[in-house]
Amino acid sequence: MRTSTPSFTNLIKNPLTTITVLLLISLVLLFLPPKLSGYVKVTCTAPFRPLQWAACLCSNSASNFFDKIITTWKNAQVKIQLEEQISYLKNTITEQQDTIYKLQNKLQTLSKFQAEGKSNKVNTVPADIISYDTSSFRKSIVINVGSKHGVKPNDIVVSDNALIGRVSTVGGGSSVVILITDPSSRVPGRVLQTREQVIVEGNSSKLCQLKYVPRWAKLKIGDDIVSSDIGGFYPPSLPVATIVENKIEGGSLFQSVKVLPKVNISKIESVLVITR
Amino acid sequence: MRWFTFFCILICISLFQSTMINWINFGSVVPDLYFPLVVYYSFLVDIKRNTIANWVTGLTKDFLSEGSLGMNSVFFVAVGLFIWSVRGILFKGHFVTQIFVTFIFSIMYNVLYTLHMVISFRSLSISTTLWLIFACSLYTAAVVPILFLVLSKFQPTQGIFSIKDK
Repeated sequence: MRTSTPSFTNLIKNPLTTITVLLLISLVLLFLPPKLSGYVKVTCTAPFRPLQWAACLCSNSASNFFDKIITTWKNAQVKIQLEEQISYLKNTITEQQDTIYKLQNKLQTLSKFQAEGKSNKVNTVPADIISYDTSSFRKSIVINVGSKHGVKPNDIVVSDNALIGRVSTVGGGSSVVILITDPSSRVPGRVLQTREQVIVEGNSSKLCQLKYVPRWAKLKIGDDIVSSDIGGFYPPSLPVATIVENKIEGGSLFQSVKVLPKVNISKIESVLVITR
Repeated sequence: MRWFTFFCILICISLFQSTMINWINFGSVVPDLYFPLVVYYSFLVDIKRNTIANWVTGLTKDFLSEGSLGMNSVFFVAVGLFIWSVRGILFKGHFVTQIFVTFIFSIMYNVLYTLHMVISFRSLSISTTLWLIFACSLYTAAVVPILFLVLSKFQPTQGIFSIKDK
């Protein structure tokens, strides 16, 4: 194919119209309300989701396969030790099951009282991750459950019993989840050990930062952050992150605290959506 | 330029970027596989097709990313036009030029994108963001030789690796 050399006449003739039209469309899309923009995105990408799901499945299967090979090759001795531990743990579980049965009766009685007082019904929906954000500076995932499964915007998403984000846009069979590491995410939380109130804020990296931690707050590396029900948006006491860096700079009013989310999103394949 | 090939390449890149990127990331540092595509087509085709290709690439990234719809398409069209306008003075057949151009324009694009995010959210720390911009741009530039080689196999008639324009 022939490629034209850059010339002013080429730019003026027809291409200028093309550029103007395309930029106008982009500008119109830019100024769409967030809800409508989200709806357009979900609708337009719906045919692409099965492909992503299949690719993700293949990727995970291949990853698991290679992991298995490496693990088998490396850990023959560890496997034997683990088997011994498993048999020991199985015995412990059997002992504890007996205790659980006894406690269950008491719990059922208590639950009846609690159920009467509860107005909000909470359900959980298991979901698989089908894709990740394509931008280096935004942190979101797409899961394979949507409004058909009862998922609504602002539902909470957890994994390994720890908070990973909230649903931002819902389609029929898929939803977009904004992770706590995304720059637009703000999670009200508390330091488990000192009960200090904090805000966990994402900043595009694997770490989050704590906002508005006063200078006099006594935080230590290794302290845990749990979610707080202030604002009524997030359920209380969900593990969120662990403090990994704590600095008090010269004349600043607040401490500079970095926290590591409890869940490494690149290592998990499925999540749990808490619907309300 | 074959549009069918372009769309196939775009779908493959979108699939890889959105599902398998964890295979090649280093922590938070991930390459932007769309960006070499923008550079490649800006080197390769006339302004009209270059604009359309870059706009479609940007819109695809917008669809598969959280954030304002249309932002990447505007940025990619602007970057594409700029590269297209200076390509005459570049020795575009050499892989060092391709890497360098991708790195420089990727930094410019990332700075603009993060500026937009800083204005929107005010939550990015300067040191982390600057490091991420540099590392992501460097990684994006590093994948250019492989990606350009693959792309030139699928668009064999273009002669991007020739010294002169045909």
